[in-house]
Amino acid sequence: MPAATQEISEALIRENITRAVCDVFKTMLRRPAALSHAQVTGGSEGNPLAPHGDEMALTPQVVGTVGFLGELNGLIYLYFEGAFARHCTCHMLGMSDAEVDEAGDEVINDAIGEITNMTVGSFKNGLSDQGYPCRLTIPSILRGRNFSIEPISDSSRYIYTFESDGQRLVADILLKCGE
Amino acid sequence: MRNKILTVDDSKTVRIIVKKAFKSYDCEILEAGNGVEGLALAAKAMPDLILLDVTMPVMDGVEMLTKLKADPQLKGIPVMMLTAEGGRDHVLKIAKIGVRDYIVKPFEEDVLIEKAGRIIDLKPLTDGPAKARSLSDPATILVVEDKPAIIQQIQEGLKHTPWKVIGAATQGEAIDFCTKTPPDLAIVSLSLPEESAFALFRLMRTNVKTKYTPVFGLVVKTETNTVQQAQTVGFTTVITKPIDVSDLESRIAKAMNLDTSTRYFGVEDGCFVVKMPEHCTPAVLAEIATYLKPKLNEAVDAGHNKAVINVLALKSLHMGVIKQLVTAMQLCKDTGVNFTLVGNSTLMTECKGFEETRSWAFHETLEEAKASFTKGAAQPALAPA
Repeated sequence: MPAATQEISEALIRENITRAVCDVFKTMLRRPAALSHAQVTGGSEGNPLAPHGDEMALTPQVVGTVGFLGELNGLIYLYFEGAFARHCTCHMLGMSDAEVDEAGDEVINDAIGEITNMTVGSFKNGLSDQGYPCRLTIPSILRGRNFSIEPISDSSRYIYTFESDGQRLVADILLKCGE
Repeated sequence: MRNKILTVDDSKTVRIIVKKAFKSYDCEILEAGNGVEGLALAAKAMPDLILLDVTMPVMDGVEMLTKLKADPQLKGIPVMMLTAEGGRDHVLKIAKIGVRDYIVKPFEEDVLIEKAGRIIDLKPLTDGPAKARSLSDPATILVVEDKPAIIQQIQEGLKHTPWKVIGAATQGEAIDFCTKTPPDLAIVSLSLPEESAFALFRLMRTNVKTKYTPVFGLVVKTETNTVQQAQTVGFTTVITKPIDVSDLESRIAKAMNLDTSTRYFGVEDGCFVVKMPEHCTPAVLAEIATYLKPKLNEAVDAGHNKAVINVLALKSLHMGVIKQLVTAMQLCKDTGVNFTLVGNSTLMTECKGFEETRSWAFHETLEEAKASFTKGAAQPALAPA
């Protein structure tokens, strides 16, 4: 029986997503990350890019998403600005900019998909060990600019912004409310 | 035989990272994007290790693992999970099906190598296919000894070499050093407290980065039991105190498989020079014998047709040296190389005592010997009657 999201405190979600993002950045990208902004909304009115103004909203974004199903159901979107997504890909794969260019956007999509998979995996493993077992879905990627994702009405939304050496990463967590 | 590692992951990124992690090791990486491809490739290639993700399209890792373990031909292949699925219940469920290890993503490449190295014999690739390292190449030697004077003695004794001698006083310091910078060779005092030399040796042999590093034991000669124990567990060799530094240097060169030919052979002013050292022990003569023919051929190939056999430093003549010199002269004749000898007066006198050497003529200096190949130069002196 899925847990009611009301049972899970925002502090627990914040703690798990912060640990997950910091672990993945430190281990796979060898760079620090720190939480810089948190926003909790009841539903569709939240916009992950809005707190950062038009500049970020209009910049091309690569967004990785992975879901989790079980005692807890939800989705996490990780927003990377295009240049940051490329930088992370180069670093993680040990490739130069030219090599990534040659390999095409597919390689960036795959790398961001994997960073999202690891981050959401780490987030949900923490929650699993705290009594909310669930499993992951396969990652997918969205690309574009100036768009917003609207969750269904009976969901909770938590938006966290992380800073990493002057670059920004936004984690948009959508939890389906329990029956 | 080269190890085959099959990585089964729908993420190309992970497969690239796996390839990158193993690139310094002698192994072949096979790739599959899901469980169906993974099973097919496992049956075809019979890998030595499978790295398996859980969440994949078509067939996930749990189903693939279950099918693999149900197949009598494939069930013996060790599987290590490499997945973001790391909840306690999930890990326990998969462990029950039968896996050798479990790595939760994100992961360090070093951890992957270390864990894989516990399952398969990972051999580091040598740099380049053929070129051997020589005495002039730098190397790092770790000396683990709680007596600073001994570390200093070794540093002092080897300071003429390009080797960097690093001291560590404890097992802990040594492990830290090996983790950061695996040394080319380690010398470990067998008298460290609580048999920690043996514990360190075992740790080095289980770590993939130091598995093949030569490890010398260092002990007082009279500690025969300890020497035997070290030889039994597999120390490369045991050095006894007081340390004979020149013997230590030779043993280090041998253990690191260094090309030591530069000690005895060289090309100077267009002449191939064979230099016999002061003391020609059987080990030295064997070393010279190993290199003589290839080095002479190398010189001839490079266009040199003059050779000087330099025995100026030699202290005394014996049958081993004579045989080696006769061989060297014969090889010069066979390859059409003009040769001459240079030697000291003691040696010239000793030469008259042997039938084989009575007619040998020597120059007194190397310069004179090299100049002798030009027309009208001084002729070598015969061994005095």
